[in-house]
Amino acid sequence: MNVLEMKGIHKSFGDLKVLKGIDLSVAKGEVVAVIGPSGGGKSTLLRCATTLETIDKGSIEIGGMSLCSTVGEKAEYCGKKELAEIRGKFGLVFQNFNLFPHFSVRRNITEALIHVHGKSREEADQVCDDLLLKMGMPDKADAYPCNLSGGQQQRVSIARALATNPEIIFFDEPTSALDPELTAGVLRVIRELAEENMTMVIVTHEMSFARDVADTIVFMDGGVIVEEGPAAAVINNPSNERTKAFLAGY
Amino acid sequence: MDTILSTIQQLLSGLKFTLGIFILTLLFSIPLGLLIARGRMAKNRLVSTLVRVYISIMRGTPLMLQLLLVYFAPYYVFKINLRDLAVGSLDYRFVATIIGFTLNYAAYFAEIFRGGIQSMPQGQYEAAQVLGFSKSQTYFRIILPQVVKRVLPSVTNEVITLVKDTSLAQVLSVTEMFTAAKNLASSQVSVMPFIAAGVFYYVMNGVIEILMNRAEKKMNYYS
Ligand SMILES: Nc1ncnc2c1ncn2[C@@H]1O[C@H](COP(=O)(O)OP(=O)(O)O)[C@@H](O)[C@H]1O
Ligand SMILES: [Mg+2]
Repeated sequence: MNVLEMKGIHKSFGDLKVLKGIDLSVAKGEVVAVIGPSGGGKSTLLRCATTLETIDKGSIEIGGMSLCSTVGEKAEYCGKKELAEIRGKFGLVFQNFNLFPHFSVRRNITEALIHVHGKSREEADQVCDDLLLKMGMPDKADAYPCNLSGGQQQRVSIARALATNPEIIFFDEPTSALDPELTAGVLRVIRELAEENMTMVIVTHEMSFARDVADTIVFMDGGVIVEEGPAAAVINNPSNERTKAFLAGY
Repeated sequence: MDTILSTIQQLLSGLKFTLGIFILTLLFSIPLGLLIARGRMAKNRLVSTLVRVYISIMRGTPLMLQLLLVYFAPYYVFKINLRDLAVGSLDYRFVATIIGFTLNYAAYFAEIFRGGIQSMPQGQYEAAQVLGFSKSQTYFRIILPQVVKRVLPSVTNEVITLVKDTSLAQVLSVTEMFTAAKNLASSQVSVMPFIAAGVFYYVMNGVIEILMNRAEKKMNYYS
């Protein structure tokens, strides 16, 4: 069964058509990298999948639950209760982290566990310690985001997204806001998640990383998926002219 | 010696009212200000417009005039006589003072809070939403604590102004410290009571400044 199923997604901002009929399926354990020029609609696609934007037309299923579907012309969204449940099924890692600056690293990671998912503080702390160890920063639980490097902040935000044990994680250019020397740590963490068969959708401009880590690569431009296929094939041997032109820039 | 003692005694009994106005106004106008700020940012155009008009009237007319209106309007406009209504020593003059101050300061606080809330990056709301926090959890756990830090310096300014503004209660013949000083000055034919009152106001604001600085420092653990 697919963890994510997006069909015929249409999304406009006013008169600007940003997504023009996108189909995207992600199987359990699959890693999909989304590449493409800036302005092509990659972020909007992730934002629609993660309930930050509402779509105009199409359907989205996450973890076997229907977020929205279209019978007539307009997409109908599920109720509040289902929405809350669906939000527990995915995690999102932002380009600029969006950590809560007034919370310690520990609270950033445990706050939702405790106050949304009803876990005890002890359980949540255990989850936090395990995740920080995995992120290679076991001694940073009591630090505040402002005292961490960008790479560390992004790893905390990955830990925050993982804490609720989601079925799928979305990354929107997780290394784009980082100094080049800080990207390696973040990419390594994502690589490890891929090895553990975490289901992921990653928007990225790191082509060699995408080729190594992703099972599938989706090339998006102008609000449509131009080309889609096995990672190595798309990167090494693209069939579409636009894909070729885009990849030639890397 | 006796006059000095009785001067201080009378000023202190005025100080009771000054502190009463000060504390009650803060107690009521800060929550009300938060509410008004939300109304000002409401999606409903009617609500936001009404609130905007309210704020502009409160900030655009003298507080002294507002106090007089709150005191006299019930009787002259609605023919309701509240002036004889007295709860112990708290007659309607004091109640009207608190209402007037609260309505006025809430408008100023609302604009400060609105600025603070609107300066919050959208990403904070989005991160909270994706993590599953409800609207009220997001507001009280994520947004408001950060807004407090952002608005604290402006709130300090308002609080210091309020200390001095309490003297306006004299228009409703509330014998707060300034009125007490005025009465003493004329009976003693001396400026000493004014100077003593000035020292009281100054010390009070000094204490406030120290406390608020301490609060600001306490929130400096993040940036
Ligand atoms: N909230 C919004 N309002 C209006 N236009 C938007 C909004 N978000 C994105 N867009 C527009 O949608 C298009 C696609 O943007 P985006 O999804 O961010 O592309 P990408 O992530 O591929 O760079 C761009 O033209 C952008 O200006
Ligand atoms: Mg983008």
